Parts: sequence; structure tokens; C-alpha cells
Amino acid sequence: MTHFAHLLLMLSLTIAVLGTLFCIVSLNKAKTYAVGLLEKANLAITLCYVIASCILFFGFWSYDFSIKYVHDYSDLSLPLFYRLTAFWGGQAGSLLFWALCLVLCGAYFQSTEIYKSLSQETRTWYLLFYFSMLAFFGVLLTTYNSPFEVISPAPSNGRGLNPLLQNPGMIFHPPLLLLGYGGFTIPACLALAQALSKENGSETPWHICTKPIILVAWLLLTAGIVLGGWWAYMELGWGGYWAWDPVENASTIPWFFGTAAIHFGFIEQYRNKAQRFHTLFMALTCVSAFFATWLVRGNVVESVHAFGSGGVGYLLLNFVIAATVIVFAVIFYMPNKGTPFNGLETKEGFLLATAVVLITISLIIGFATLWPVISKLWTENSVGLQAGFYNSVILPLLTVIIALLTFCPWLSWKQGLSHGRHFLGVVLSFLVFMGVFWALFDVKEPLPLIAASISCACMISWALYFAVLKYPLAKLSPVLVHISLAVMALGVAFSGPYKVEQEVALARGQEIAVDSFKVKLLELYEGRDRTGRYDFLEAELLVTDKNGKEVGISQAQRRIYASFPQNAYAEASTIFSLGKEFYATFLGLDEQTRAVLRLSVHPLVNWLWIGGTIMSLAPFITVYAMRRRKLENKQEKA
Amino acid sequence: MKKNLRSVYLVSFVLFAAAIGYMIFSGVSQNSVYFLNVSEALAQEKTQPLLSARLFGTVADGTIVRPEDGLGVSFTLEDAENKAQTIQVQYKGVVPDTFDVGSEVIIEGSMQNSVFTAKTLMTKCPSKYQKENREKNA
Repeated sequence: MTHFAHLLLMLSLTIAVLGTLFCIVSLNKAKTYAVGLLEKANLAITLCYVIASCILFFGFWSYDFSIKYVHDYSDLSLPLFYRLTAFWGGQAGSLLFWALCLVLCGAYFQSTEIYKSLSQETRTWYLLFYFSMLAFFGVLLTTYNSPFEVISPAPSNGRGLNPLLQNPGMIFHPPLLLLGYGGFTIPACLALAQALSKENGSETPWHICTKPIILVAWLLLTAGIVLGGWWAYMELGWGGYWAWDPVENASTIPWFFGTAAIHFGFIEQYRNKAQRFHTLFMALTCVSAFFATWLVRGNVVESVHAFGSGGVGYLLLNFVIAATVIVFAVIFYMPNKGTPFNGLETKEGFLLATAVVLITISLIIGFATLWPVISKLWTENSVGLQAGFYNSVILPLLTVIIALLTFCPWLSWKQGLSHGRHFLGVVLSFLVFMGVFWALFDVKEPLPLIAASISCACMISWALYFAVLKYPLAKLSPVLVHISLAVMALGVAFSGPYKVEQEVALARGQEIAVDSFKVKLLELYEGRDRTGRYDFLEAELLVTDKNGKEVGISQAQRRIYASFPQNAYAEASTIFSLGKEFYATFLGLDEQTRAVLRLSVHPLVNWLWIGGTIMSLAPFITVYAMRRRKLENKQEKA
Repeated sequence: MKKNLRSVYLVSFVLFAAAIGYMIFSGVSQNSVYFLNVSEALAQEKTQPLLSARLFGTVADGTIVRPEDGLGVSFTLEDAENKAQTIQVQYKGVVPDTFDVGSEVIIEGSMQNSVFTAKTLMTKCPSKYQKENREKNA
């Protein structure tokens, strides 16, 4: 079975390489395209990946520990759900999953009518980029990162899945990111193809063809990042949702590039300008996904997330460098058809400024993450940057973005304000919120004060904009995305600087005050999980407010998993609140059998998850609206 | 583009770049720490005191001592590649769940009289157990 799967991957590599060569040859001899054959080859590759992936899934399902990958990431006690999702628990599997996402997106796009309406030349260019991408995956998966290595004789049990990964948040976080990465590849390849094709101009532009894919890829990437933060907050007991760790930073780089590309897209779609920027940043979104993977997998920068290097580092880095050079060469070659921009005080200007700030953020995060490597150029010992750097540079820039999008709706495309009164109303609401936060909520630090007030003004601004537009369905998703971004910004503005945290040792019956809460240790329990996966020690805490009214009971646990007996893991417990959320981590018992706990209070933290959820779902409305419009058009024609 | 418009864009971009440049410069100067492995830290300490650094290494066998009262741990950190290079580490605070002999740790703090006082202690982990794998490749 495994040999067959490995053969399938070899076969797909061969087809991808031949496909790439075939594209080059046919592009050299214009008018002898054989797109049909290439598309069949693509379907063959898709089939190979689907079958190979099924074999790996089956290996996990049937406890086939002769497959090294299955042995490394599962064991007999692991429930079926976690056994199947252990597919992307390791490096080789997650690369296979990424490739699978990519080929499925490719096969879907190839089946659409709009794809078939493209010229043969454009399709051949598209397939050239697409096949070379697949060839790269083929090399990775058949050399350094084969998920189908065999152990002989087969061990009787596996090594088990890291308990920290046995959580729904972690199960969906990686595949969402990978689906997003895979999705962005399709528009990127088509953008480059149209930049080079002579038929460009007479056919539907790439960003219209692939708009549903772009939106879905973007929302999956967004959901993946938000879910990663939620997982860090809920499961890891790191006491926060974001630590500016290299791995976390890496996942945001493609997001910022992709978001910038989408904003250039509005300029291109509505004003027929900025084509080259748009193409460049869509292509760089795709390349930066590989850059992010290199940061994560290549052991470039020491991070709290440990990964084996597995020799992929150099391959990935070379690929990233080569791809970047090719992308810039294509952009250089691409004709500049756009008309000049209007002034800065227009919608165009603000969209451009938003994109520039997004790109700046992405570049700063990238360089700062690589700082330990870059600083080696002039110092002997590498120097890295602490979280404080990102907080003092990135957070103000994010506030600038919120400010830009607060006022953008009220500008006209050509010059100045389109709705003066509404604009003034928004400015006024900003000032009122500033006063309210200053006086009633005692927010005195400048950055949180401005960020919180502008976020509230932003929500008002976009809600008002939607009302002025008379509630069109097609505009609902940008409105919701921007409002939910402001909701998240509000959450960050409070939960970051106003978090309260303390470590305490509590005897049974002892009470202690944390921020505005009173916490009392009621009881300590010992027990075993019903499925027998772990033993636990539990601290039951009674949480009351200042007046002695019960807020809730918190049950924080320490668990010892059967497959990982050497360590205990904390299972944090929270008492949900839209205001101040109480959070307890049980750290252990001290010599006098007092419970050692880390107790913290996170103001408005849940608005991050609420905003993140809306933001990740809202783009579906546009996809739905586009589908409906297409169906209506069809019916009219009929 | 009209000439005055171009200068508007140019001026705004220059202002933006200057502001960013200033923010980055002050951010870098206030938030830089040395990222060192054990051998590098030992070499550097000979010439200058190590006031703020992030160290990477492995917890040496049989050196973990937990204080009788309260939180914290002291242990010997050895270089991941050269096991002969070691530093004594003192840490007061919450010890992570996955901390153990042989675990790869990241510590932040300062070094005085060849003892490193760590303010934070993190273990590498949240992804996968691939240690065997890495040693094989090294």
C-alpha cells in the first residue's frame, strides 16, 4: 500500500515536470497548444494525490504502524477523530495536505465555465506556473518529506499525538491555513499568466475569474489565524493569544499581502488602475506562503514551536528566491495600462494608503522575525527582537489602518468628500468615544485610548455607510468584515494593556482578590477521564464579584495523559464574559498541598473571537450573491 | 499623473517612511536582546556582561533541583551541540508543563558571576516531538 502511495507521488511529480516542459515548448511554438491534454494531466495528478491521501487516512484509521508517519503521530488509545486529523499533525503530512488542497482547488477551477472561456495561450501560461508549483511539491514529498516511509518490522504501538494538539482548535488551525495557502495559488498563477499572455484584455480578468476562490482563501486564512490565537489562549495556558513568536508571525505575512492585494483589486475593478501592483501582490501572497513555511519548517529562527528541519529548509528557500525573481521579472515585462491615480484625499488614495500600510506591516514583521539572522551580518552574536518591538511598531500601524477605513466610505472616487455630514458625524462620534473612554472607563494611555475610540467610530461609520447605500446584499460582506475588524481591534485595545495576572498558592477555603473578582478554593479532586486517556487533578474555584454575588465556578485541571506519563498538562478554565473574563490555570500543588494557580482577568477578550468569527464568515455572503447573480443572468438569457 | 498630485504622494510617502523609520529605530534600540546558544553566551560573557539575552539549550541530565518552598527551578543548561559547554540557571516562576531532563528550552534573563537568572522559561513544544528526527539529521 505505502509503496503504491509513494509511486503515486512519484508519478504525479513526473507528470508535473513533463507538463511544465510541455507548456514551455508549446508557448515557444505559438498556436500549437494542447491545453486539453495538459488539463487531463492535471486531473491525473489530482487523482494521484487524492488516492495517496486516502491511503494515509486509511493508515491512521487502521492503526498501520508500519507507516512511520502513522507510528510517529498516533497510538492505539487515540480516538478516531484525532487519529484522522493527525494526518496534518506532522511536517510531511501537512505538506501532503497542502498539495492536496492545491490540486483540489486547481481541479475545481479547471471545471468552471469562466476558466473554459479563457484563451488557450492564457491557460497554457497558467498551467505552466501551476505545474511548476506541483513539481516543487512532488520533489518535497518524494525526497525529504515522504509521509510514506516504512518501518519494518511494524511496531505494536505508535508514539501518540502530543496532548497539546488534542484540542479542536489545533485540529482545524493548520488545515485552514493550508487551504488558504492552496487557494491563493490559483489566482496568483492566473494573474501571472494574464500578465504574460497576448490575449490579455480580450478576456475576463483574473481577479473576476477567481474572485470566489480569493474570497474563500482569504476567509480560511483569517479563520486559521484567529483559531490559532484562540487555541493559544484556551489550551496552552500561555496567558495570552498572541506572543509575536516567529511561527505566529509567519502565518500573518501571507494574510497581510493577500489583504493588500484585495484592496488593490478594488482599485482595479472600479477604476481600472493599479493592475501591476495588484498582480504583484497577489503573486507575492502565494510566494510568501512558502516563505512562511520556510520560517516555520526550516529551523531558521529559534521559536517555541519546535519542528524538525528535515532538510526542506534549503529547498524552500531556493524556491522562494527563484519565485520572487520570476514574479518581479513578469511584473517588469507586464505592460502598464493603468491611468494615473487621483489625489490622496479620494477613495482611491485611501485604498492605496491602506494597501501600502498593510504591505509595510507585512515587511516589518518579516524582517523583524528574521532579525536574528539579519543581525549576523554586522554582529558576531545574533540579536533578536522582543514582543515589545512589535507592540510598539505594529499596533500603531494597525490603528492607522482602522482610522483609514473609518473615513474611507465618505470619500468620493475622484475628489474629496462625498457625504460631508456623515463624515462629520463619524469624526464627532470618535471624539465622543474618546471622552467616554477617558472619563468613564479610565483609559489614560494614548494608544489604547485612540485605538478603542477609532474602533467604535469605525463600527458606526460602516453601519451608517450600509444604511446610506440602502442595504444592498452585495455590500454586506465588506461592511461586516470591516465592522468585525473594528470589534477585534477594540478587543485588542483592552485585553492587551489591561490584562491582570497573578500567581497564587491557595489552601482549601482560602480566598483571594484578583482585579474586581474574589476567588475561593472550594475543593481539590483527583480522578480519571471516562475514556481512560488521562488522570486529572482538579481545583474547584468559586468566583464572586465585589458584592459577593457568584460569578461562576471555575474547574481548572492538571492532566497526565496515558501516552505521555512524564509530564502533566494544564487545562485552563475560563468563566465566559463579554466584559472581564476570568481565567484560571492550575499549575500544581506545593509542599503544603496548596493549589498553585495562575489567575488572570482578560477584559473584552471574547470580542476578538466574536469579531474573528464574523470576519471569517462574512465573505461567504459575496460568494453567495455572485452565484445568485450568475444564475439570474443565465435565466435571463434562457 | 499631474505634477502637484505626484508631489502630494511623494511628500506623504516620505513622511510615512520617516515616521515608520523612527518607530522601527526606537523599537529596535529598546527591544533588542541577544539570541544565543550556550557556547556563544559563554564566549560573550568573557568580554562583556550579559545583561539581556535569550538563550537556547537543553536541560542537562540529573541537574534539576526544585526549591522546597514555592515555584521555580534551578538546572544546568547545556549546549545542544557541544554538551561540554554548560551554564547554571536559576529561575523563579512557573515551570512549564513540558519542562524535563533533555527538553529544549528558551530562557530570557541576565547573567552574573556565571549564573544565569532567568525571568522567563519556555520549553519548545507546541508542535511535534521530532527530536530524534532532528538529531538524526544534524
